[in-house]
Amino acid sequence: MRQPSFDWTQGPAIPVVSVLFALVLGGLFVWISGHDPIQAYAALFRGAFGSPYDVSETLVIAVPLLLAGLSVAVAFRAGLFNIGAQGQLLVGAVAAGWVGALWPDLPGILLLPLTLAAGVLGGAAYGGIAGWLKAARGVNEVITTIMQNYTIVFVMHWLLQNGPMQAPNAFGTPASAPIGAGAILPIVLPDFLVPSSRLHAGIVLALLATLGFWFLLWRTSLGYELRAVGLGMRAAAQAGIDPRKRMVIVMAIAGGFAGLAGMIQVSGLFHRVYDGFSAGFGFDAIAVALLGKNTPVGVLLSALLFAAFSRGGTLMQSDAEISSHLVEIVEALVLFVIAAETVVRAVARRWGRPVKAAS
Amino acid sequence: MEVLIGAGVLAATIRLATPVALAALGGVVTERSGVVNIALEGCMLVGAFFGVFAADKTGSLPAALAVAILAGLALAAMHAVAAITFRADQIVSGMALNILALGLTSYLDYQLYSSTGTPPTIPLVPNVHLGFLEKVPVLGGAVGDQSAIVWVTLAIVVFLQLFLFRTVPGLRLRSVGEHPRAADTLGIDVRRTRYWAVLASGALAALGGVYLSLSVAGSFSDNMTNGKGFIGLAAMIFGRWTPLGALGAALVFGYGDALSVSLQGVEVAGFVFPVQLLSTIPYLLTILAVAGFVGRSRMPAADGQPYESEGH
Repeated sequence: MRQPSFDWTQGPAIPVVSVLFALVLGGLFVWISGHDPIQAYAALFRGAFGSPYDVSETLVIAVPLLLAGLSVAVAFRAGLFNIGAQGQLLVGAVAAGWVGALWPDLPGILLLPLTLAAGVLGGAAYGGIAGWLKAARGVNEVITTIMQNYTIVFVMHWLLQNGPMQAPNAFGTPASAPIGAGAILPIVLPDFLVPSSRLHAGIVLALLATLGFWFLLWRTSLGYELRAVGLGMRAAAQAGIDPRKRMVIVMAIAGGFAGLAGMIQVSGLFHRVYDGFSAGFGFDAIAVALLGKNTPVGVLLSALLFAAFSRGGTLMQSDAEISSHLVEIVEALVLFVIAAETVVRAVARRWGRPVKAAS
Repeated sequence: MEVLIGAGVLAATIRLATPVALAALGGVVTERSGVVNIALEGCMLVGAFFGVFAADKTGSLPAALAVAILAGLALAAMHAVAAITFRADQIVSGMALNILALGLTSYLDYQLYSSTGTPPTIPLVPNVHLGFLEKVPVLGGAVGDQSAIVWVTLAIVVFLQLFLFRTVPGLRLRSVGEHPRAADTLGIDVRRTRYWAVLASGALAALGGVYLSLSVAGSFSDNMTNGKGFIGLAAMIFGRWTPLGALGAALVFGYGDALSVSLQGVEVAGFVFPVQLLSTIPYLLTILAVAGFVGRSRMPAADGQPYESEGH
């Protein structure tokens, strides 16, 4: 049995090179399709960082990306592949949106923690199901979480279109009732600094969560055990750690991070739940976690990078008339390069092997 | 009764099941060889787009089908290189290729057709009219006027079922997915077998994509596969990694989908029937099946595990 080589402390060389490689290849693609890649990337950069307002909009996108990225990363650390951050985010959003609108007149000091708890616990429960199915029935978490992602989308269609959360709204998109004022996260940038900024206190929660991620994994015995399980199921079992029990916990924690992302989208940004809400963050989160090598700082930086791509891409399309989908091409190329890395391979070796056989 | 088993619902079931079945068949072939390919969704999407693109540029249906399948093959080839040669993580590679397919097709769709939409005059896959069934109630309406691809799909199911379980090459392919080391010892080229299987899965999924664009819709729209490749994976699992099972599962899922349309707005005991929840059935059934609560689905033993030949 050869030891999987998990060298997480490795420098940022490979991520940086893979991003540059993807940007060059993406530029080549822009050039072939008859546009100026320099102009495209300049527009992308301006869109993301061109003004204080643009920067604050980039950060608005970075907040859920960071949290969803932590969700994927914490599972990776324990050797599990959480494709379900998207679904867990949505469950968190639904739970937060429901609780936030349930008692709209409660003061913030009560309603905000309740809403937050609902979002985190909702996501944690959804993630925990995948962990439990893996631990108790040997069901691969990749399969479960993919199926869960789609399940919640259709449950939301029902909830918001003709189910119990349906509420009249002026925008034509099915949506829930607005949450109470007490559940709303305040805007953190005052108007005289950045006019009409949407950057909310969710960024503080996201940074605290990043700190919590670091503390959990490197300063607690649970974190030590999770990383041990991630390094090798058999070795951990021999050290007296029951990997199966840890699976439920780690998937619940992963779901909690994603659920917090969903709660923040509701409390900070939209103040209600929409149908088709925050699509895609959970998938980008996989790229964020992998590019950030599942380290707190790495995930933070790659969340910023992908947020800048996303925000910049929108402006690139309107300014330079180059489809914002270029950003997805670049992102896919980044992921594809990372896919070949040894770090990920170690997880791959365990994919498909039921726990019972391994422990 | 009409909304439950009328000809309209059954015809819709077949229409909705066909692309899912094709993706599922691709999944069966690749996973039986031991490679997980979640890029089937992406293969479908490039098939759907490049079919329309080639139909527009050449005006020829055979050329359109060929280009669509080549596009699926190209994406699958990237997955094969990553997964088999570089032994990369198959899920990450598949995710990357799905995002690539979505980005690439949406990018090209925007650059080429954003102002106009895809042209309405492109050649489409013809339907097969079964005149002799016209008078037969229900059956005539259900199968009497389906796309040629539906019948091709049926033929592929029969072929693959026989190929995998009744022929020597089929046995070899399965042995590579169950126990590559043993297969290798017996002189079977594991990598080569897996390459062919992954490529075949890309072609099958692309055919499913072309069915959506050049048969059902007559056009391309961004992300038009919308998860059909993933439902295909679910059908593959629920169908226990066999072609016939995959077809059966696709039909069950397709029927649920068809019902969610035909039962729209129908009231049951004073409540509007929650049709949206019908669409969750494929995913829930799949989880239950893999967990052993509904039957027992067992994946090929070496599924998803990269193979290193001797001497590591």
